[in-house]
Amino acid sequence: MAVTRFPVPEESRRTSFVGMVMALASWTMLFVALFFAYAVLRLRASAWPPDGLAPLPKALPALNTLVLLGSSILLHFGSRPEAEAKRGALRRALLGTLALGSLFLALQLAVWVPLWRSGFRIDTGTYGSIFYGLTVFHALHVLAGLVALAVLLPGAFSGTYTSGRASAVRLSAMFWHFVDAVWVVMFVAVYLV
Amino acid sequence: MGDATMSKPVPVRHLHVGPEFHAEQHIHPEPTSFLSRYVFSKDHKVIAKQFLWYGLFFLVMGGVMAMMIRWQIAFPGTAFPVLGQLLWPQSGGVMPPQSYAAFFTMHGTLMIFFAITPILIGAFGNLLIPLMIGARDMAFPTLNLMSFWTNVLAGLCMIVSFFVPMGPAAGGWQSYPTLSTLVGSPGHGQTLWILGIFLTGSASIMGAVNYITTVVRLRAPGMGYFQMPLSVWGIWLTAILNALFVPVLAAGVLLLFLDRVFGSHFFLAGASITKGGGDPVLYQHLFWIFGHPEVYILILPAWGIVSDLLSFFSRKPAFGYKATALSMSVITLLSMVVYGHHMFVVGMSPLLSQGFMTLTMLISIPSAVFFLNWLGTMWRGSIRFATPMLFSLGVVFVFGLGGLTGLHLGAISSDIYLHDSYFVIGHFHLTMAASVLLGAFAAIYFWFPKMFGKMMNETLGKWHFWLTIIPITIVFCGMLVVGYAGMQRRLYNYEAYEFLKHLHPINVWITRAALLLGASQFLFVGNFLSSLISGKKAAENPWEVGTLEWTIPSPPPHHNYDEIPVVLHGPHEFNNPAVTGKDWLAQDEPIGDEPVALGAVGN
Repeated sequence: MAVTRFPVPEESRRTSFVGMVMALASWTMLFVALFFAYAVLRLRASAWPPDGLAPLPKALPALNTLVLLGSSILLHFGSRPEAEAKRGALRRALLGTLALGSLFLALQLAVWVPLWRSGFRIDTGTYGSIFYGLTVFHALHVLAGLVALAVLLPGAFSGTYTSGRASAVRLSAMFWHFVDAVWVVMFVAVYLV
Repeated sequence: MGDATMSKPVPVRHLHVGPEFHAEQHIHPEPTSFLSRYVFSKDHKVIAKQFLWYGLFFLVMGGVMAMMIRWQIAFPGTAFPVLGQLLWPQSGGVMPPQSYAAFFTMHGTLMIFFAITPILIGAFGNLLIPLMIGARDMAFPTLNLMSFWTNVLAGLCMIVSFFVPMGPAAGGWQSYPTLSTLVGSPGHGQTLWILGIFLTGSASIMGAVNYITTVVRLRAPGMGYFQMPLSVWGIWLTAILNALFVPVLAAGVLLLFLDRVFGSHFFLAGASITKGGGDPVLYQHLFWIFGHPEVYILILPAWGIVSDLLSFFSRKPAFGYKATALSMSVITLLSMVVYGHHMFVVGMSPLLSQGFMTLTMLISIPSAVFFLNWLGTMWRGSIRFATPMLFSLGVVFVFGLGGLTGLHLGAISSDIYLHDSYFVIGHFHLTMAASVLLGAFAAIYFWFPKMFGKMMNETLGKWHFWLTIIPITIVFCGMLVVGYAGMQRRLYNYEAYEFLKHLHPINVWITRAALLLGASQFLFVGNFLSSLISGKKAAENPWEVGTLEWTIPSPPPHHNYDEIPVVLHGPHEFNNPAVTGKDWLAQDEPIGDEPVALGAVGN
């Protein structure tokens, strides 16, 4: 048998991309199931918010949505391969994203704490359960995303990573965008409608 | 053949090489320390063995529980021999009601998540995917390692739950609220159950992401999707379902966890709370959105393995190979949209119920396709009745029974009568316990030589088969009968009900058959252990089949393939008229001097 082999490029980067897409598909189903639970409970309630509870605040969460969206935009442009030409673009994007992500968590606390103090807690009927269950679970993902981005910093400063061409940067960024996208849906579903 | 008289030049065969071939597969050096080699190994073959031992351990545990449950049903109020005195000295060895509930709960949980899943998906998924598609390892070896050890943590949660006050979870393997909320089970057992399920679910997802990516990216050149062995098809489809639907269970148990630990009200309703109200039925939705795909998660690998083995031992190409692969895929898709048939008696809208019934009935069509393909594969074949083949035939038999009885449960009118009866127990044990277990045995007998480099004893294997298939059929068909007669599942003492008393003789016979089934597994354990130590050394290809794993030594070297094979044929190339001297052809074995060119995509 005469087998001719052509040279092949290094493509393990693509393999990890496929894996991340599957992992995020799986994660999406987790949040879809949580939103499904919310939808069922809400459809079964006679009024929403139920039991004469006050509606949730909207202004601060809206601002927080902008914060998170801003962080995604920053990360996206800072990790594009085209940004490689600008020195330190990735470094700045990572630091900016970490700052905005932390600001998001701080603002979340500013939403939770007064509500909790006013007596609106996780055991305040399904309204409290949904609100704290969904937003805290999401905030834990933001925290995980911040950790995933923070561990890239040493590499970004030493020059190991210069853009999203590096798999580690690309995958962490994908996770971050995913967490942001979930937030947008959560903001609309939990606070707005 | 280099025949000089041949006038026509042989056309060059251009193999389509997908992007997957471009993934570089390095040969990693073999680990040398004990820990990195046997404990925290990243080698898919070692992880497969770890999963096999792990699954067999829980299979024994779940099996012993089944024996105790059956003992209580047939001989209520009598002490279970030996173990009873150890477990329940205060009642003289008789299983108390609370333990009965805990044992049927944990029997289901352990068998499904900690025995069947690790053996078929963990062990054979890991072993077969890289070997059968011609890869050096999984796409993500570290994730593979994490998947196994996360599973071990999950198993520990389950084991520890037996030793906490008030015992393990006892609300059934589905753990419906309110049985599973603090109202129904105040002990820590149920909380540990939730943690265990969450962890084992995470492990399943890690495995699934790895399996899917490996199949998509690391197939050897020439190995298109329709050149893959059907075993890989089955495991791959299972991985897709795992990745998409285990998260739904995770969400369900997460909310249950919040209800139990942080006092939220997702599933609480009625007098137990003061403000608002959750919905216990919501959990049932979440559970069955996962739960129905789960039964296919369990059975698909066994279907794939049996489809291959029937062809191998009938010495014929698999009849309707593509139709089998596609019908398994269609079933995978349909399994995502039929979960409502588990909830016909919950109080769903009749319109919705009818939709779910129709979709459920549709599954019969692809099921009949691959089932008839199995029969077509064997039709006029030169069947070799080796032990793996016997077990494969066993799968065909019990799955046939289980599949047919499923129709009665998919139809609303008969399901309302049969719901929660032993008919359901008989049905799902035939499909996802008996078939899957027999499929697992077929796989173990068949790939044991490749895994361990030794042959298993054929005589003991055949005894094991007959002493398994006969009692297993009696046990689960007996359950169909008592269920049809109206016996409800989960009764501690059914003889307390006048209308069920006359079922005593058949229940005693079911239990006797179950005890025989349990005892005959010692034949397997003995065979497995003695073959491991002193079995006959296995040749490279003892079964004379053509899939890639049989072209390399038994057991394979650390990196599997010295050179990545180039696949030229399908997995079941039997009795090709162009081949002389043998009736099989390896997938990478050229016929004559056929020239082959490998090209990159787009060139």
